[in-house]
Amino acid sequence: MSQSTSDTNIDVASVVEDVNLRRIGHYTIVILFLGFFLLPLITGIMTALKTSTAVANTLPFMPPLGDGFTLANLEYAFNRLSYAFVNSLLMAIPATIINVLLASMAAFGLTMVRWRGQMGILVLFLIGIFVPYQAVLVPLARFWNNIFPIADMLEPVFSVVPLIQGYHSALVPLIITHVAYGIPICMLLFRSYYQSLPNSLVEAAKIDGASITKIYRRIILPISKPMFGVVFIYQFTQIYNEFLFSFTLVTSANSSEAPITLIIPTIGTSTSGIDFGIRMAAAFLAALPTIILYVAFAEQFAKGLETESA
Amino acid sequence: MARLEIDDVTKEYRSGESSVVAVQDIAVEVPDGDFLVLVGPSGCGKSTTLRMIAGLEEITEGEIRLGGRTINDVSAQERDIAMVFQSYALYPHKTVRSNMSFGLEESTELSDSAIAETVEETAAMMGIEDLLDRKPGELSGGQQQRVALGRAIVRDPDVFLMDEPLSNLDAKLRAEMRTELQHLQEQLDVTTVYVTHDQTEAMTMGDRIAVLDEGELQQVGTPLECYHEPNNLFVASFIGEPSMNFFDGTLENDALVTDYFEYPLSQESRRDLESGGDLVLGIRPEDARIGDAQQSDRRFEAEVLVVEPMGNENIIHLQFDGMAVDDEFVVTTEGVPNVSAGDRVGVEFPEPAIHLFDGAGGDAIKNRDLSFTGTPDAVLP
Repeated sequence: MSQSTSDTNIDVASVVEDVNLRRIGHYTIVILFLGFFLLPLITGIMTALKTSTAVANTLPFMPPLGDGFTLANLEYAFNRLSYAFVNSLLMAIPATIINVLLASMAAFGLTMVRWRGQMGILVLFLIGIFVPYQAVLVPLARFWNNIFPIADMLEPVFSVVPLIQGYHSALVPLIITHVAYGIPICMLLFRSYYQSLPNSLVEAAKIDGASITKIYRRIILPISKPMFGVVFIYQFTQIYNEFLFSFTLVTSANSSEAPITLIIPTIGTSTSGIDFGIRMAAAFLAALPTIILYVAFAEQFAKGLETESA
Repeated sequence: MARLEIDDVTKEYRSGESSVVAVQDIAVEVPDGDFLVLVGPSGCGKSTTLRMIAGLEEITEGEIRLGGRTINDVSAQERDIAMVFQSYALYPHKTVRSNMSFGLEESTELSDSAIAETVEETAAMMGIEDLLDRKPGELSGGQQQRVALGRAIVRDPDVFLMDEPLSNLDAKLRAEMRTELQHLQEQLDVTTVYVTHDQTEAMTMGDRIAVLDEGELQQVGTPLECYHEPNNLFVASFIGEPSMNFFDGTLENDALVTDYFEYPLSQESRRDLESGGDLVLGIRPEDARIGDAQQSDRRFEAEVLVVEPMGNENIIHLQFDGMAVDDEFVVTTEGVPNVSAGDRVGVEFPEPAIHLFDGAGGDAIKNRDLSFTGTPDAVLP
């Protein structure tokens, strides 16, 4: 090539190169996906802030304007859900803590301690992961209602304990069920983490004279903090969002011990139809605890996942 | 402090039908306060043996006794031993102080203040008192190594077990720690079993060394015994750096005939060996002498391949005519190198310095004469 090409020509060429088809394709796909994921969220929040007339007359994802804006939906949903919030947290927090602790102990026993027959036990745990919820619903209801009605037994105790009500005892079978169902998968998460830890740590502690329980409490438990974060968030979300067990054991959205997931499908319905504003406001409120948990523990979550994959 | 006896101990790993013998009938005694080094190539069973002493592996057969008491069925927690791991195995979430006090808290009834005092004393002795409030992750490899040692020492156990504790350090630090460890062990006078694959560590540190190969004990003895009077070919080749040169041959009348030379054997060396038997001639690189190319009875012509001057000595790689391309033997000389690559020289194997091994089983038939000290290398004109 000769050197006679002018500067302007070069500029045009580079601009054309920048706006090539590949780049346009990239941006189109990114924007499409952004819309795909964000639109439902925006629609939900916008609907929660609109009066029912505005919901009927405007596009779902448009922001509420002027008279269309209201906080009444949120207020209504909050009042209707406040008891359910207490119920849900009263169920999910103890269930998660017990679940995660037991799962970690089981994983320790099945990974870092050698004993006869542990392979068989491990297989039982693995089978536990694959038992479908639907298959156990009827036996579960019969067990907690007829064979071992622990809720009725505990009601007198619960009614004298301060801060909680007698009807909260109905949450105990739910808690136990969630713990039992959550242990296998949480155990597996902990197990993969414990397998990545050097065995020499346990051996060093053994030689230092520590018993198996002391090794767990003083060495393994403190080391697995990041994994506790991961499993706690995961399992809390699972239990908090769970519907089938609550539906089977509590049955009615109108009972005072109903967790939040039982109420969401019924809220805002009336003979005149569904009030989408209220329903969206309730859904948004119900999702708040898990969102807060993720934000608060995001760093620990990432760290835990990192150590697991490392 | 106690006497440790390993009595015909065997370790067999069984899985279903098949079984692998990791350790076969090992018997060693470590007197009170002695320093025993278990040395051998990787997979020879030395770590398994150590782990059986620690109680981390079950003993398939045989007995281990500590201070006269059989400890086969005593759990690791109850054995009163301390161990330094290759990876150090420091508790990552604990400070150096709690790392060191953990063992005392778990295995003794000492009060908190007594424990704190012992930890401080040991830390001062190890020179790590400034690190007490740091966590292992903030320490360098050498410092972690010291903490791991300190954690073992603070327990004041019957036996120290060390599993290649220096292998993660750089060469200079390793040499320093080698001396320091020896010094510490003498000072504390605690029975110690030390595992290594490094024959230099074995030679320099142990009161006695036990050489293992493929799960079997090859020789137990002082480092110099193993060096000068190896039981068999394996010990001879494993101990010593650069290692001993070997030449396969057969005994024909009064000479050892190899592919490259005929070595006349005196009546004393031959003993009552039958003519026609397979033998291996071994000679240490420092015992062979390099002179002019003139052949004589025990001097054979060879070509210099490479000269590696190390300062204090020269490692000279040589080849006899007819040797395979990758086959060679090594002679070390002192002082300034007086040969260079390509030279043809005469290499003399003085008879008092040679070892003879059985060609079939590898057992030593004749070891070098300990009174023979050799004479300086002949100077080339």
